Amino acid sequence: MKEGFRQSMNWVHTYSGLLVGWVLFMVFAAGTACYYRDEITLWMKPELHQAGLSLPPEVEVVSNTVAALQQRAPTAQRWFITLPTEREPGVRASWSAPPLAKGAAEPALEPGVTRRGRLYSAMLDPATGQPMAATRETRGGEFFYRLHFDLHYMPAIWARWIIGFCAMFMLVAIITGIVTHRRIFADFFTFRPKKGQRSWLDAHNATAVLALPYHLMITYTGLVTLMLMYMPFGPQVTYKGDQQAFTAEVFPATGPRDPKPSGIATPLTPMAPLIAQAQQRWGEDSIARINVHNPGDAVATITLSRKAQDMSSAQPALMFNGTTGKLLNEVGEDRGAVITTRSVLYGLHLGRFADPLLRLLFFVSGLAGCVMVATGLLLWAVKERNKYAKVVANGGRVGWASRLVDGLNVGAIAGLMIALPAFFWANRLLPVGMAGRGQAEIDLFFGVWALAAIAGLAWPTRRMWIIQLGVAAFMFGAIPLLNAATTATHLGVSIPAGLWAVAGFDLTCLALGAALLLCAGWLGRRKPSAKAVRAAPASLNREPAL
Amino acid sequence: MVVTAWCTAFSGFAALGLAIDRHHEDSYGRGKSPGARRPWLRLAGTLALLLSLAACLAVQGPTQGWVLWLGVLTAGALVVVGVLSYAPRRAAPLAAIAGVLAAITALLALI
Repeated sequence: MKEGFRQSMNWVHTYSGLLVGWVLFMVFAAGTACYYRDEITLWMKPELHQAGLSLPPEVEVVSNTVAALQQRAPTAQRWFITLPTEREPGVRASWSAPPLAKGAAEPALEPGVTRRGRLYSAMLDPATGQPMAATRETRGGEFFYRLHFDLHYMPAIWARWIIGFCAMFMLVAIITGIVTHRRIFADFFTFRPKKGQRSWLDAHNATAVLALPYHLMITYTGLVTLMLMYMPFGPQVTYKGDQQAFTAEVFPATGPRDPKPSGIATPLTPMAPLIAQAQQRWGEDSIARINVHNPGDAVATITLSRKAQDMSSAQPALMFNGTTGKLLNEVGEDRGAVITTRSVLYGLHLGRFADPLLRLLFFVSGLAGCVMVATGLLLWAVKERNKYAKVVANGGRVGWASRLVDGLNVGAIAGLMIALPAFFWANRLLPVGMAGRGQAEIDLFFGVWALAAIAGLAWPTRRMWIIQLGVAAFMFGAIPLLNAATTATHLGVSIPAGLWAVAGFDLTCLALGAALLLCAGWLGRRKPSAKAVRAAPASLNREPAL
Repeated sequence: MVVTAWCTAFSGFAALGLAIDRHHEDSYGRGKSPGARRPWLRLAGTLALLLSLAACLAVQGPTQGWVLWLGVLTAGALVVVGVLSYAPRRAAPLAAIAGVLAAITALLALI
């Protein structure tokens, strides 16, 4: 019975992993990249590489920013200010302008300011409050963040259902994988290179077992981030379908979302006393965001939110009257066990609390996850190929399922490894002033990926793996050269200057390129047995993929 | 202190690995078995991993310390796998060096 249970779990593990593995590989790869979302965005905006910003005290940054906003958008409905951090040294400011009068022309944009609908945004220099150098239009690391749960070219809601479905399968695959792994402790450190199927299984086991806490955590917490969408039934029953009552009770806001202005102009209260109150509660440099509703109006409100000081994704906030400076409301100091649990699980998934070292460890574990998914997919293909070894030796062909999986493997794994650097190349090679540039980068990413996938499906051979991995290795490995050719901050400059965000990106790409080159070289060295090649007719001379 | 955490995790896992027959043979030559030393290797390995936990909790506090420890364990074990697969004879000396380094960094941090 015991053996039977394990074997049936083996089947569940194989197919729950295989069916969603191609999507999961993308989710893992894009999600892992998100740990360095800010660094990727910075690299993709070379205009900011050498900004050399100094961070004045919090109070000064805020007063500079408010002065800049008062000058540019005194009648905005809202100001959103994100204060600088070590990883993102500029002030992100955005403001929503009132609707234009009929027939009025959109005023020309100041350099460094961008517009999306009625929402204007700019990156401000914390020391002066002036917009920083105009940057090229790009989604940067934000693209990977959205991609890993919203996909692209489709409504986000569909994408989230697809991703949730895949994540649930992933969770099933992880748990059945633990059940079916017969020798977790005996094979804990085992990796036997150059042994065909055995090596793939070892690599799959090692990357899965050694980073198991991470895999379980990231998959489960990933489901938790969207749990109210996947499992809305509890709240629906308890609150009798009153979604608003549920939201108000569980996620208390400091005030109404869209307060109406009174129309009576009243100057905004000075910020310094409010910041002093926040600092007294939370400590120095502890404010993450400031939202101002109806600045310059009698009903203005100012909300200060705290920076993450623990793992939780929900941080406390203070709301002040925007004309008198009186504290009106505070939320989130003590939210109760249920909310705290969810916020901590959510926070663990985002990993925003992580210092550089922990972030690196998360990144390494994420890479292990990518390798786990990829080796799992390849393992199925290798096993299936082995079943056909005799047929192929006698001049037959492998089955359609095997060919399909081989093709999808090439497209999903090697293809993505080409599409990722293609996104960065597009960022540097497309004309800087081009209209719709941000979307063009993304279209190129998917275009290159589609080409690689079509080629992979058409010729799912070992040679195709070598070609695609070789191209990917070149494109990743040459990124430091690309950076040197298109900016002044190449590695020779960025390392001595301590620009670790830029240098780290270049070095990581170089390392990924080297790893992919090793994979391509390793595939190139191992020749299929001469007998199999001789036996197959020339037209069917398809080497086993791996 | 983070160095201490990683070094203890590495040497702890190396000790646990060397307590396994296959890796012991790879490291010390064919036919060699850990024999009577096996329980000691296991004990030392377990203790080292616990020390690593203590170091992580000291660095990051009682909540994030656990997260850091799991990350450090993964990073330590991945390197042990690499060493045992590609340079098995270096496993014991490297574990010893890591142990000494852990002791030095721990002392420096405590002073």
